[in-house]
Amino acid sequence: MGISDVIPVPVAVDEEISKWTIFGQPVADVWFTTTEKIHQIIEMGPIKNIFNWGRKNSVYFLMQPMGCCGVEMFVFGAAPYDCTRFGCMPRNTPRQTDVMIISGYITRKYLPVIKNLWEQMVEPKWCVAIGECAISGGPFYDSYNIIQNTADYFPIDVFVPGCPPRPEQFLEALMNLQEKIKQRKDKRGY
Amino acid sequence: MTTASDVLSAVQSAFPGAVLESRVESDRRLWATIDSNSIVDVCKHLSEKLNFDHYSGAAGVDWIARKEMEVVEIMASHGAHQVVAMLKSKTPRENPSVKSLANLFWNANWYEREIWEMFGINFEGHPGLYPLLLGDELVGVWPWRKDFKGYPDLTTGQRAVERPTSEGYTEYFIPPTPAEIEAGTVPKEKPKYPSFREREEKEIKSDSEMIMHMGPQHAMLPGPFLLDILIEGERVHKAFLDMGYIHKGIEKIMENRTWLQGLTYTDRMCYVASLSNNECYCGAIEKILGLEVPLRAQYIRVILEELSRIQSHLIGTGEFMTLIAGVGYAPWNFMIIDRESIISLIESVTGARLTHTFVRFGGVRNDLPEGFSDKCRSALKYIESRTKEYIELFEQDPIYHMRMENVGVLSPDRAKRVGISGPPLRATGVAYDMRKEDPILVYPDLDFKVVTGTRGDSADRIDVRLREILESIHIIEQCLDRIPAGPIKTETKVPKKIPAGEAYYRVEDPRGEMGMYVISDGGDKPYRVKVRGPVYATLQTLPPLLEGVYIADAVAIAGSMDGCPSEADR
Amino acid sequence: MDGIIEAISSFASQEPAIYYLIIGIIGAVVLSAVVNIGAMYVIWLEVKLLGDFSARYGPNRVGGRWGLLQIVADAIKLFTKEDSIPASADKPVYVWAPIVASMATMLVAAAIPFGALYFNGKYYPLVVANMDISAFYVEAALSLLVIAAFMAGYSSNNKYSLLGAFRGIARMISYEVPMGVCVISVAIMAHSLNLAEIAQNQTLWYAFAQPLGFGIFIVALITDLGRIPFDQSEAEEEIICGYTTEYGGIRWGLILFQEYNNMLLGSILLTLLFLGGWAGPIIPVPGLSIISPLIWMFMKVVIVLWFLIWTRSALLRLRIDQVTDLGWKVLLPLSIVNLAWAVVVGSYFA
Ligand code: SF4
Repeated sequence: MGISDVIPVPVAVDEEISKWTIFGQPVADVWFTTTEKIHQIIEMGPIKNIFNWGRKNSVYFLMQPMGCCGVEMFVFGAAPYDCTRFGCMPRNTPRQTDVMIISGYITRKYLPVIKNLWEQMVEPKWCVAIGECAISGGPFYDSYNIIQNTADYFPIDVFVPGCPPRPEQFLEALMNLQEKIKQRKDKRGY
Repeated sequence: MTTASDVLSAVQSAFPGAVLESRVESDRRLWATIDSNSIVDVCKHLSEKLNFDHYSGAAGVDWIARKEMEVVEIMASHGAHQVVAMLKSKTPRENPSVKSLANLFWNANWYEREIWEMFGINFEGHPGLYPLLLGDELVGVWPWRKDFKGYPDLTTGQRAVERPTSEGYTEYFIPPTPAEIEAGTVPKEKPKYPSFREREEKEIKSDSEMIMHMGPQHAMLPGPFLLDILIEGERVHKAFLDMGYIHKGIEKIMENRTWLQGLTYTDRMCYVASLSNNECYCGAIEKILGLEVPLRAQYIRVILEELSRIQSHLIGTGEFMTLIAGVGYAPWNFMIIDRESIISLIESVTGARLTHTFVRFGGVRNDLPEGFSDKCRSALKYIESRTKEYIELFEQDPIYHMRMENVGVLSPDRAKRVGISGPPLRATGVAYDMRKEDPILVYPDLDFKVVTGTRGDSADRIDVRLREILESIHIIEQCLDRIPAGPIKTETKVPKKIPAGEAYYRVEDPRGEMGMYVISDGGDKPYRVKVRGPVYATLQTLPPLLEGVYIADAVAIAGSMDGCPSEADR
Repeated sequence: MDGIIEAISSFASQEPAIYYLIIGIIGAVVLSAVVNIGAMYVIWLEVKLLGDFSARYGPNRVGGRWGLLQIVADAIKLFTKEDSIPASADKPVYVWAPIVASMATMLVAAAIPFGALYFNGKYYPLVVANMDISAFYVEAALSLLVIAAFMAGYSSNNKYSLLGAFRGIARMISYEVPMGVCVISVAIMAHSLNLAEIAQNQTLWYAFAQPLGFGIFIVALITDLGRIPFDQSEAEEEIICGYTTEYGGIRWGLILFQEYNNMLLGSILLTLLFLGGWAGPIIPVPGLSIISPLIWMFMKVVIVLWFLIWTRSALLRLRIDQVTDLGWKVLLPLSIVNLAWAVVVGSYFA
């Protein structure tokens, strides 16, 4: 991405900048190597822990009730169980969420939709499968329309058994996810 | 009072020879097989002359042994009399085709589409036979036919092929296995029809119009369905509804489970009203068996069903309030807190929060725990005061009136014609309640009135729900006073195999009229279970109601219907 | 105190102009630090208060029992999120929208007095740019955010965003006029357009001197801030998140942040115009007397904030046509009535 992508300047400016050098190297190269170095430093050490501390304490989930477990998701977000205590809030657009809760069955018709939603979420992101249906098809294991193996489509970090799980189990799943993020043991390795 | 035999003789005299077979089960149920050529005329006669103004649904049955298919039309009346006529028309299994009722009854449209996509029965004269519940890849498989064996094996996931679409998204495509092709579970030739997208895009008339998707994932929806609105600026010109995003095929699955196992699936149909679904299924089977339910069990059932109605209305209203107020709106949280107290009451009896599987053929699973009645009374007193507070709150809120009054108005006539039921129908002033119409259990002995509204708008729908909570509390209190001691299950042993027979049983679900049509062929599994859910009818009425309103009103209308897509999709 | 001010101004007026720039930069840094930290805690206050109104705790896991560090965690998360720009977005506009949003709030913050210090019987207002027409300027700059919102909504190439942006503009236009008329009425009574002077000239709070104007201003302010019952541009249940639907990560964080910044600045403006600003009895304790106007100011602002948050948990959302109706057909005539009232009363007191 050059400058002209962001500011409406002529492409010539981009070309001009690409000619500049610093310490005998093109500016762009220096820029990339430094950012890479910075990333390496972050990956190594305590800075990453700080990042993960922030991430773990602020997981927004995508409000997307799918099955019976979706009702328990509503309750989990409301007063009696109050997920905001953990810094976990429902948001409606996938762009602003960190964790997708698969709360029920995924049908053949819904799979492309939910996959789109998952792809629209910005990294880092996690996925939690709630209920038997999301794990293995549950009571609908032999249905012609239900996808049985959600884990093939999504990197699921926490599975919550139950049909439906209680809202307390939702909270436990959240805490497990937080622990995983903290120890950097989640599927996608953040 | 019109009874089933009156109706039968009237039809027989009007159409000599049209009734091939008939059975008068009771005063309230008429079973008749009608000559398939005259089914439309008979239905027309029934609705015009005999007050059958409620077309309540249709079911398809595949009689593979007899090499024929059957379409069962369910006709009832809005209060003029209590007869439910089940009219069957037969058609050969090869190239099945019957006459469509969609031109006669507006709401037959969706029921016939469902039968078409599931059984492949063609409806002559239907305005648009498009799939409703199934994705395009499954159309032509006819999954509810008895010879359908194509349950996906557990490797569907590994078989899925990713392919990018032209818009840059990823799509999934599950190619059929050779075994599936051999078994004939993949469609050999696909029916040709325009897709949902194409159908709605045809309606765009000018450059200033666009289609906005509300769903399948949208903050407005209580579950996934797709509501597309064609808007110009802030005005909705047309609305389109697509369902089936959580179609699980429950009716087909139940055919492959034993009678008792099937009960668990009724729980998962509408998960906030699972007790009335249980009741409906068990009631139908009790009818086939001719079982008497002991009095105590009847009372327990009524208590729990009313409790479940209260919690369903509370979460329905609460969820709706977030739609027109935002998630920060405090009363929504209060309603959930109130609901928790009811849920914990139900849990103390059934052991589960949502999926109870509590009602049994000829009784209930277990007795009320000790001290239930006191706990229940105190909780109900609390709920009563809170509900009155909510009613008062909404009455006094000027913004509430501005947003809700005269929005989405249904006139009584229109509401009857479109086949809607439950609170949306009662809000228009039609006192149509299964607990009075088709009384079951101990409801006839109890004193309660049917709550009705006057205007039929969104505000009335919410108001009816809230006042129904008060009515339910009244019912439960009576039950707690009267409940006798005694057994909670019938003495007669319920056989593993239910004798051949059929029954149609209706209950008043929190969302409206729910009926189950159960057929047994004498085996240990149901031959066919057809669920006539209230939400299916409610969702069907939604698109025409949204024409010409503002976007914000569309939300207010759709939310006030309290639709539960899971039950509509089954 | 006078000495300090003189020293600073003489430092700034040295040649070459670089000294002036230095002072300016220091001022800007201090200012943005104050405003942004303030906004962070407005967010915290909102989450906590909303929790309280709906019978729950709100964040209480990080930063002690009150969840004081929750907002820090949120900020870290947003900063370290992937930077995503939709492929079909209008890139330059998309990228610049959050920046314009922050610019808009900083423009407001520059001219608004955050309080005053009391020293030797004199009030020294804490303001970066003490303009003579600051009341007008602030009122105008407060609605600049809607331009950023429109940029965001238009460039995202998303139907929800576009609708949100349109709604935002429609709402802003219909409420800017009554709000401006209210500011004029206040200026007429105070004989000044300088916010610091308006605050100081209030012997009787203008909330009591012109209650009608006070009411109109509150409604218009809530509209300007886009909060319930006037949050149509972000109505979650209708158009997902309105103009921020396609924004994620820190870009969304910036926009969100500016909304709360604006909320803080708006409540300060309300306090200055109608609630007597920092006026209040001076606390006769040696150390505290200097900052006692600040304490009063702080208390009033918190009360206004509390009110703004309270409306969110207690009111329903209006429809967009009702909003514009209310603006043009009710508030505008009323604000003109209020203007007449202000002229009569103002000239009587003068
Ligand atoms: S796991 Fe059970 S409760 Fe959850 S969605 Fe599946 S069937 Fe419903």
